[in-house]
Amino acid sequence: MAKIGVFICHCGENIAAKVDCTKLAAAMGEHPGVAVSVEYKYFCSDPGQESVKKAIRDNNLTGIVIAACSPRMHEATFRKACAEAGLNPYLCEIANIREQCSWVHTDSDMATEKAMDITRSMIEKVKRNNKLQPIEVPVTRRALVIGGGIAGLQAALDIANAGQEVVLVEREPSLGGHMAQLSETFPTLDCSQCIMTPRMVETAQHPNIRLLTYAEVESVDGYIGNFKVRIRMKSRYVDTHKCTGCGDCMTKCPVKKISSEFDCGLGKRTAIYTPFAQSVPNIPIIDTASCIYFKNGKCKMCQKSCQINAIDFEMQDEFIDLEIGAIVVATGFQIQNTAMYGEYGYGKFPDVITGLQFERLATASGPTAGKILRPSDGKEPENVVFIQCAGSRDPSKGVRYCSKICCMYTAKHAMLYAHKAHGGKTNIFYMDIRAAGKGYDEFTRRAIEEDEASYIRGRVSKVWQENGKLMVRGVDTLLGRPVTVAADMVVLATAMVPQPNAKEFAKIIGIAYDEYGFYNEAHLKLRPVESSTAGVFLAGACQSPKDIPDSVAQASASASKVLALFSKEKLEREPVIAINNEATCAGCWGCVLACPYNAIEKKDICDRSGRLIKQVAYVNPGLCQGCGTCVTFCRSNSLDLAGFTEKQIFAEVMGL
Amino acid sequence: MITQEKYRTTVKELLASDSVKMVIGYKPGSTPDRRRPLFIRSSDDADQLVLDSTCITNLSGYLVAEGLLSDEKRVGIFLRPEGIRSINILAAEYQLNMDQIVIFGFDSTGREVRPLEGRHSKDFSALLSDIKENSPQISKEPLLESIERMNEQERFDFWQEEFSRCIKCYACRQACPMCYCRRCIVDSNQPQWVNTSSHTLGNFEWNVVRAFHLSGRCVQCGNCDRACPVNIPLRLINQRMAEMVLEGFDHFAGLSPTQEPVLASFKKDDTETFIL
Amino acid sequence: MSEQQFEPNIIAFVCTYCTYAGADLAGTSRLKYAPNVRIVRLPCTGRISPMFILKALQKGADGVLVSGCHPGDCHFTHGNYHARRRWMVFRSLLEFTGISPERVKYSWISAAEGSKFADLINSVTEDIRKLGPFDQYQQMIKDAQSPATL
Repeated sequence: MAKIGVFICHCGENIAAKVDCTKLAAAMGEHPGVAVSVEYKYFCSDPGQESVKKAIRDNNLTGIVIAACSPRMHEATFRKACAEAGLNPYLCEIANIREQCSWVHTDSDMATEKAMDITRSMIEKVKRNNKLQPIEVPVTRRALVIGGGIAGLQAALDIANAGQEVVLVEREPSLGGHMAQLSETFPTLDCSQCIMTPRMVETAQHPNIRLLTYAEVESVDGYIGNFKVRIRMKSRYVDTHKCTGCGDCMTKCPVKKISSEFDCGLGKRTAIYTPFAQSVPNIPIIDTASCIYFKNGKCKMCQKSCQINAIDFEMQDEFIDLEIGAIVVATGFQIQNTAMYGEYGYGKFPDVITGLQFERLATASGPTAGKILRPSDGKEPENVVFIQCAGSRDPSKGVRYCSKICCMYTAKHAMLYAHKAHGGKTNIFYMDIRAAGKGYDEFTRRAIEEDEASYIRGRVSKVWQENGKLMVRGVDTLLGRPVTVAADMVVLATAMVPQPNAKEFAKIIGIAYDEYGFYNEAHLKLRPVESSTAGVFLAGACQSPKDIPDSVAQASASASKVLALFSKEKLEREPVIAINNEATCAGCWGCVLACPYNAIEKKDICDRSGRLIKQVAYVNPGLCQGCGTCVTFCRSNSLDLAGFTEKQIFAEVMGL
Repeated sequence: MITQEKYRTTVKELLASDSVKMVIGYKPGSTPDRRRPLFIRSSDDADQLVLDSTCITNLSGYLVAEGLLSDEKRVGIFLRPEGIRSINILAAEYQLNMDQIVIFGFDSTGREVRPLEGRHSKDFSALLSDIKENSPQISKEPLLESIERMNEQERFDFWQEEFSRCIKCYACRQACPMCYCRRCIVDSNQPQWVNTSSHTLGNFEWNVVRAFHLSGRCVQCGNCDRACPVNIPLRLINQRMAEMVLEGFDHFAGLSPTQEPVLASFKKDDTETFIL
Repeated sequence: MSEQQFEPNIIAFVCTYCTYAGADLAGTSRLKYAPNVRIVRLPCTGRISPMFILKALQKGADGVLVSGCHPGDCHFTHGNYHARRRWMVFRSLLEFTGISPERVKYSWISAAEGSKFADLINSVTEDIRKLGPFDQYQQMIKDAQSPATL
């Protein structure tokens, strides 16, 4: 038999001035199953709470309704009071008669009538509440960081420095990501290598970080605190335990003219190679597509040159299985394929290059040792045209968003060029100059005022070659006339796009992505570093175009989320989760598809001999967030949502 | 007749070679224009097989009979295009494994029966796409058109009148290949969402809930309509809902065995005009 | 005249993260609106089943309101997108069976839209008031004599 206590709060005058609390208490006292119905000035006060606790104990109440302010205010308060009085905290419901009644209505009788309906409805609900226990999930205190660019390094170091274990996976042979390719960085013009390389070394040497380079995440199973991750270690053909990084093999390799990916095609590399001189780890890999041995079965020059016998042509991919508690995804970005812009002549004219290629030219460790030289003839250009928004903010090319960093790096390029090629002339075609950020607008002003970058507001329609010059035809929208500029080099500020396999990778981890393939945060404003999947966090440009400071900030934020998760041995969660009636489940799997959290799995029901009888849906309590979308889908009414069960809601409606 | 003979031979061959363990087809019924299901397990059974224009019942529901497909052996079945759509949905909803199904497709115009090329669901995908493309052009049943022209009150009264005959026998549910739930929502009484008595409210709720559960899944085979002992034109509601999901979501039920259920999926740009 | 004014019963099903919070904001802003609506709080619009609407009508509601987060704002990322499809389908089903779409309203109200909530409650109440009591449905309930309740 239900013994419900109803506690009607005056909230001073806030409720009592409009709602006749005495009448309400009397009416509710008459309602079937109500054992106690009392009113009081402030139930949320200490004596108020004590009186609730006393009533629970004295009357052995089976549930309580607090008719007061919104549950968003004091539900937690009264649940705690219940627990202290020995009543399961989930046997408490709040009837919102303040925010949604006394405060918003003028007619006292009608407000009282409404308060009665609201309270009665909650009485009927609470009669059907079940005792619930918070869900406890054990936590494996080991983080996986995917991506070894600046965001991944920052997240890994922050977590490791806090004393937790980290596994860092990088699919390239070396750490570094895009930042390692850059020359100087805005707005301070400090050398990227100088700030990046020490971080790479620190990461590699950190006792809490296990570094897996030239490795890829093969599969992710499990849920927050309990992921099972399989990593594929791609075969380098070089024994990482033996190799000392002396570089003899690279010197001896006869295949020397392979276009270097790291140098964006502006430099050359060998078939056995490290991406760049400061690679971490400094262990080469063999590019089997270019290696003579792998093509013809002859050569082995590298093996002969290796004094410690580290080269193994028979090496196979290996798999590592890891137990992981939290994942930071920092898989970064790519630049848009500039071939989409036939009108700019990229690929046709060697001196039309991307911004990233300009970085390689400008960096001291690059193929030209820091001299800005034309790829076509190695001469220093006297006039450079920069084209901003080459791809970005262009719906016709599929990129409607702003890539965010291009305004800044173009200004930086103009400055670097001015510093290196004295007397050189720069023209920058732009749509808007977006320089929001600490020291950013000052930086672009400096490019204009001190380094004489000439900004032309307008789009470029065509680039062609004439008398050894690149002719750039655009429009100056401020003057309202077409302009043609003769240039020696054209630099395209190409759009930042997601990694080409971003969507497939998202499916492996089980996180959501947007129409482009950038990963979705759980909430754009309030949960910007959490992915849609509990226990998976985002850092850097895999979420949206970002510059270095933003990437680092987000990485540290992700790390703090991971550390918060690791601060306890077990996770405690609200028990509002879906549950399935396996006897009636028809196994149609509509719920599996509808669930936004991949929380529903297929479970085999077998007889005693182990023969499969049927498959039913199983809701993983670690993953379920309690939205109830599956419950509504379920035609056979097999799924239900704890805390908002079908019975409870039916009763709530019928109690109105 | 030629189609029937050809199929009898094929069925016998497949049974003889153990390619299928059973074929579900039609045999003569109690009157000349009625057919009943035939479960062919032997060559002798196959001689009873009838295939003519009166073979209209959608047999696909028999495939989900408890245990029929659990031994992983293959089963043949005679299906019209809408029946093929039904088994596509059953496969999409994981009620059967398409690899176990051998299809004997047929269709009819007037009294003429013709075979459909193919044995596997995927062989019919072009045919089903054509049917989807042509479906908006097919002229509507006059009764459906007249209901659509009615005002709300008239529509309400029309359906009240029709539903008032409902005796809650659930023949519609039993006849429907899509009603494979182990427990129907109407049989769930904690809480009693659907009133089970055959009063107007209960009848209204039952028929509305069934139509909702069939939205995006009904292929208009007409099994429910023919099964109804009191002649409620159930096909019309389901037809209207099929039109709705086609217009609203470009969803044509049973187009392929991997089609996502329309109510378990969504598009961010689903367009509506009524949400305030 | 105003004493005889028909006061409709309206039952609303709302999600806790957006519309319920918006209703609370209307309260804390002390906005005034019609007292005809009774709110049932759910975690998400994804949890709002068409059965709830039928049961609200059985309970004698003259109108039903369903409301949640704007598209893209769902706390549970997708619940409202699923809900939107269900509403589209269910609404056209009710329309075809003669239940006026004017009786069952749908809206998106965010936690910040307290004034939109108040305005909506007023306009919905006014609309349902104009339609008058839902006599047809009430007649069905009367005919049923004892429909299943609690």
